[in-house]
Amino acid sequence: MPKKLTDGVGKPDGTGMRRRDFIVASGAAVATAAVGALGLPTRLYAQTGRTEITFASPRFFSTDTTQQLVEAYNKSQNSVHVSYVELPPPSSSTEVHQQLVQQLARKTGSPDVFTQDIIWVAEFAAAGWALPLDSYFGADEMKAYLPGVVQACTWKGQLTAMPWFIDSGKLYYRTDILEKLGATVPETWDDLIETAKKGMGGDVRFGFIWQAKQAEILTCDLVSFVGSNGGSILGPDGKTVKIAEPEAKAAVQLMYDTIHKDKITPADVLTWDEEPSRRPFTAGQSVFLRNWSYVWSIAQDKTQSDVVGKVEVAPLPHFAGKKSAACLGGYQYGVNASTKNKEAAIDFLRWLSTPATQLHFATEQGFVPTRLSVFDEPELAKTQPFIQKLKNVSLGAIPRPVTPKYPQVTLILQSEVSRALVSGDVEGSLNKAKAQIEKIVGA
Amino acid sequence: MAVAKTLTREADLPPPEMRFRIWRPGPALLLVPALAAIAAVSIYPVILGFWLSFRDTTLSSPKDTFIGLDNYQQLASDSQFWNAWIHTMEFTSASTLLETLVGLIIALILSQRFLGRGLVRAAMLVPWAIPTVVTSKMFGWLFDGQNGVVNYLLRSVGLIQENVNWYGSPDLALWTIVIADVWKTTPFMALLLLAGLQTIPHSLSEAALIDGANSWQRFWSVRLPLLAPTLLIAAMFRSLDAFRIFDLVYVLTGGGPADSTEVLSTLTYKNLFSALQFGYGSALSTAMFITEIFIALVFGIFILRKFKEAGQ
Repeated sequence: MPKKLTDGVGKPDGTGMRRRDFIVASGAAVATAAVGALGLPTRLYAQTGRTEITFASPRFFSTDTTQQLVEAYNKSQNSVHVSYVELPPPSSSTEVHQQLVQQLARKTGSPDVFTQDIIWVAEFAAAGWALPLDSYFGADEMKAYLPGVVQACTWKGQLTAMPWFIDSGKLYYRTDILEKLGATVPETWDDLIETAKKGMGGDVRFGFIWQAKQAEILTCDLVSFVGSNGGSILGPDGKTVKIAEPEAKAAVQLMYDTIHKDKITPADVLTWDEEPSRRPFTAGQSVFLRNWSYVWSIAQDKTQSDVVGKVEVAPLPHFAGKKSAACLGGYQYGVNASTKNKEAAIDFLRWLSTPATQLHFATEQGFVPTRLSVFDEPELAKTQPFIQKLKNVSLGAIPRPVTPKYPQVTLILQSEVSRALVSGDVEGSLNKAKAQIEKIVGA
Repeated sequence: MAVAKTLTREADLPPPEMRFRIWRPGPALLLVPALAAIAAVSIYPVILGFWLSFRDTTLSSPKDTFIGLDNYQQLASDSQFWNAWIHTMEFTSASTLLETLVGLIIALILSQRFLGRGLVRAAMLVPWAIPTVVTSKMFGWLFDGQNGVVNYLLRSVGLIQENVNWYGSPDLALWTIVIADVWKTTPFMALLLLAGLQTIPHSLSEAALIDGANSWQRFWSVRLPLLAPTLLIAAMFRSLDAFRIFDLVYVLTGGGPADSTEVLSTLTYKNLFSALQFGYGSALSTAMFITEIFIALVFGIFILRKFKEAGQ
């Protein structure tokens, strides 16, 4: 008599279960379990009776509050249930773009609400993937937001994105080093280079760190430098190419000089994006750093930074006689044009854009809000003082070229500017960039 | 042969002129699922890519027009394409050559008996088992220009005076990726070559030893010729794989400073998924496909010749 289920399986004397029957029985059991497990969740959801929508958003550098926010919304009302789909972090900009494009191009209506980097608004709008929001959010309502962002969310007169947060490049500096030198916060690039050279030495191996990895971040840095000389990459009509103008050339020459002539920047910046460039600064090895807003909270965190209390933020320097220019970044909301649940999606969007939610993002994750009223909230002054201090910097940030062909333009810029920074042939590379971009945006 | 003949007597088979008429569909139908799977996964994408390469189409606009060979003309004059092509060929040849050599040495060592051989054989596979993304990050830190271990070791030994900017220098970046790939994939080659070495009868080496051959002669004249088919097949696998390198390059340098590590896969990826140029991107991937067929053909000819020699 078989004592266990597997006793006698496959035994040659014929007693017990035959091996073949055992395999068939286990296979059937596993298949039933799998089907049962898959079928269960859908049956549960059908019972709640809510409209199901999906929200796709990248995972940001700070804590995981987006998931908690979605849950707060789900608890606050009974008609809509939002499931959060996490995308890669924003430093992997290309992957986020790829995943969004793949889902939006299928036109199945999923995800219903998504977040788009400010540089993709024109592209998604031109492709017809983002739902125009003018009928839901009138011009009066949009006056409560920063005008620059509203403009960046508009394509051909239609509002296709809802402002969420903005970010701009900032200059972080070491207060203790500047004090020791008796130097003021530099306002021009020449001042910065001079102070950096004097401040270097000993543990402070670098004068000024920025990012030059051949990726989107290089275009951001390029826009800051070029803008600080009064130049731009494309003209306001989105078709005239101005990357080869003298202002732009002087700016790229400055970028090259910091590495090779003044030697205040290590050649390693050619491989550094946000995090690898932040680390030497918070380890106390650099006088200046150009980076996004997120560095502030890390710099004040004892577990991650060696320079707590010795860091301050200022607008980026500019060329003599010109104005400071910060590169405008930040993600905005969008609604899928093929969504089957327009009302539910708009309801969720409204909730996401309320002053309370924006304040939450600002205080928890350091996102600069896009609602004018949120800037003056006292709670913000307590937790993120520099957001208020640098209100003017955020307001004056310069967008990257606004064109639906932006992904191609940025690839050309990354390639040519990287070559210029390596070879020193600023003139040749920028002329080539101009020729290639002209073919793309085609006047 | 004899058994089969006794089981099927000539008298039981249908007459010769009728044999081909009695074609039963059953066996052929059993092949359909496998063929359909291969067609869907391998053949259809290639044909679709080929078809798309003759069109001007982007994912983000409804425009989709037939433009003939324009994409290929643009390809031929695109310096970025040739830049990536040259880098890919350089990477493939350097990586395959180094991996074959080092793999062969490792395989030869592991075919000898020594204490702990089983453990070493298992440990040897660890680099290959680690996901490529993890390997990329690891080498990224090892070769870091400022704080990397490699720079530290080289400086303490005195081989270099200052930190070398491994990834930021256009001349060195591709070689750093080659080193990372060699570390990762040599175990694969060593394993294949070890299997090949096991098939060579030990008696042949012994006979050569009795005849007075030294170790080098035994290796060069006895074992290596017999290992040649396996060596060529392993090298072919490896070079076809190396030609398609993507994750190592993308994670480490993203195309590298000044396009110095741009390879065909990363260029195609950027064109297809960043720029959403499905027409031009398909032309790029078709060009990759054609080059790979060419490489496979070259290897194939060598392998067939070796097999013919061995068959005699």
